[in-house]
Amino acid sequence: MPPKPRPIQRFAAAVSKCSPSAVEYGKCVVADYNSVHKDKCVKEFLKLKDCYLAASKGSK
Amino acid sequence: MRLIVPRAFWRPPNHTPSFTATARRHYAFQAAGAPAFQVFNRRTKWLQKERAASNVELSRQADYLRVEVASRVSERLLDIKRHFPRVLDLGANACNIAHALTKENPEPDPSLAISPPLSTKISELVCADSSAALLNRDADLPFNRDPNMTVTRHVLEDEESLPFAPASFDMVLSSMSLHWINDLPGVLGQINNVLKPDCPFIGAMLGGDTLFELRTSMQLAEQERRGGISPHVSPLADTRDVGGLLQRVGFKMLTVDVEDIVVNYPDAYTLMQDLQAMGESNAVLGREMGPIGRDVLLATDAIYRELHGNEDGSLPATFRIIHMIGWRESEDQAKPLARGSGNVSLKDFLEKKE
Repeated sequence: MPPKPRPIQRFAAAVSKCSPSAVEYGKCVVADYNSVHKDKCVKEFLKLKDCYLAASKGSK
Repeated sequence: MRLIVPRAFWRPPNHTPSFTATARRHYAFQAAGAPAFQVFNRRTKWLQKERAASNVELSRQADYLRVEVASRVSERLLDIKRHFPRVLDLGANACNIAHALTKENPEPDPSLAISPPLSTKISELVCADSSAALLNRDADLPFNRDPNMTVTRHVLEDEESLPFAPASFDMVLSSMSLHWINDLPGVLGQINNVLKPDCPFIGAMLGGDTLFELRTSMQLAEQERRGGISPHVSPLADTRDVGGLLQRVGFKMLTVDVEDIVVNYPDAYTLMQDLQAMGESNAVLGREMGPIGRDVLLATDAIYRELHGNEDGSLPATFRIIHMIGWRESEDQAKPLARGSGNVSLKDFLEKKE
């Protein structure tokens, strides 16, 4: 039996399923990285987070 | 100096209506020696190293950077034609330098003749580190039983105060550990002190733009998610600082150079896991305690990928290695001539050649 994956490994596996929304979020932040403020890209981030939450549910 | 009290402040006791003046003196003085500025929590660093080394397999897997830097440091010994009876490896980690020294044919140039391992140049190597678990991790491997060189391990109470006698080593090596020292000038001064006259110190440490990709993307992620930043990557010495420091503590004939090692990782989490397995996690004083939140981690990977990612989808991490060589001062060492003592004009000499 393979060893139980660490939480960070499960996390990384779930995140890797969300690359389209990650790219969207990354582009939003990097577009103007000299004036980043809190919740600048909150819309894109929530999309990414929803995707991650869905992916992490599926893997369990 | 006499203390002069202006008349207006002094009143006879029977006339004092509402307050009593107490004589109080303030001294402004500095304790002996310059105060050391504390950047890193040494105990946290020690715990991280112990914890990392307790998982032997994972720790060996993540040793690639130390193995590489140790072999580059020991290659520099090829240029010194000398035998060293007693050598100190300060901040030895898992004795990576000892391992590298016993490697067969250290000469990287294939056109040259095969050379014997560098351990033939050394009689005794003292590996010193504060973390006993990391230091003894590879104590059973065959490189410890090298016929030419005896390896002794010394667990340091505190890496910032060396317990060795002055002028007791013929060379001091150091690889990948000086970047966690708070009082770098103090430690370099002690290294100079334990060296015999006309003996070299050869060191390598992380510095400059090391992990700038991780640093910038974590800053952006925290700024966007939480509206503020906390330190996640150590402040590091720059190349020119190292030159200045070596000169300040009295090393002679300095050489300082820089190498960048770029490692590609599949994602930012693999990089963080490897750093943890090396025992190189964050130990900056004043960092935010506890793990990094999932929101920030999620944002970091996305920003890292966008800002620095390679075309094939991997993420590069730069490790900038600052190599330094300095020699303990000695009477019979080559010295620069006094200013104004030259009697050949370089201009005439160079023009004559043409």
